[in-house]
Amino acid sequence: MINNKKTIFCRLLKNSKGTDKILSIYWLAILFIVAAGIVYMVVVFYGEPYDVREIEATLLANKISDCVSDGGYLKSNIFSLDNAYFFRECSINFEVEDFKGWNLDQFYVETEIYDFDDTKNNFQGDLLKKFSQGNVALKDFCSEKGKNFPKCVNRKFYAIDESNNQHIIGVLSIVRKTEKNVR
Amino acid sequence: MKKGNILAENILFILLNLIFLIILVIFLFSKTGSAAVLEEKYAKQIALMIDSSRPLMEITLNMEDAIKKAKEEGWPENMIVNIEGNFVTVKLREKGGYSYSFFNNVEVNANFDPNFKGYYFVVDEINDKQ
Repeated sequence: MINNKKTIFCRLLKNSKGTDKILSIYWLAILFIVAAGIVYMVVVFYGEPYDVREIEATLLANKISDCVSDGGYLKSNIFSLDNAYFFRECSINFEVEDFKGWNLDQFYVETEIYDFDDTKNNFQGDLLKKFSQGNVALKDFCSEKGKNFPKCVNRKFYAIDESNNQHIIGVLSIVRKTEKNVR
Repeated sequence: MKKGNILAENILFILLNLIFLIILVIFLFSKTGSAAVLEEKYAKQIALMIDSSRPLMEITLNMEDAIKKAKEEGWPENMIVNIEGNFVTVKLREKGGYSYSFFNNVEVNANFDPNFKGYYFVVDEINDKQ
């Protein structure tokens, strides 16, 4: 009985006839290589955190846009607001979790209201009002490409004020949070 | 070669292949449905959901897979999601948990709904504006 089992195992490894579909040491090696490849890919894929910074920056830009204009009209008191009051009214809180030395430095947001000028390529006339909050140093990284840099969302839209004056509004939102979104 | 030997070799070959595939599938499922992955996924999803919400909204989120995992880990279902200030923490086990912050300055209450197998979130204004 033991001898019979030994014979079967030997046949499995020896590959006695080339045409027979028997398990060889080469087949075992292929199995292990395939398994190692799959394990590696899965570990790399699921070990990488979900990168939600671009969505977060887009949502932040949406939020700021809603604070500046409503239904295509600039908010009536927008030119009289000071920076701090604007962001308080906008209900924004840049406090972040206590993680790897994070402070109030993981976001930056900036909005600028320009006169509409159709003689210029970007339609931006004189700058009338600017609001900004957060870590201004993040702005320097917007031109950089790569997953380890903060994500920036830059948008421009058109709105009119109560007196039907036309304006161009620029919104820049930046989210860092690199350590929680990139490995 | 005897006929009996060919049959035994083939059966062993098929069995080894099956064992190999089963181990791979178990590994894949253990990775995709692991508590750490689910905690991160739901913490970020809830934070983004709150960021896009407005006061007086009520949002429901199906968390069936997370609830199932919490049950397996012996963690109470009604303590999976915790929102304090502007931080969301999702915890599916005793030693674990993942936190993510949201920038929308709103007050959010997270409530477990056993019938829906998920949570519903009630978004309200913060009354600290001066």
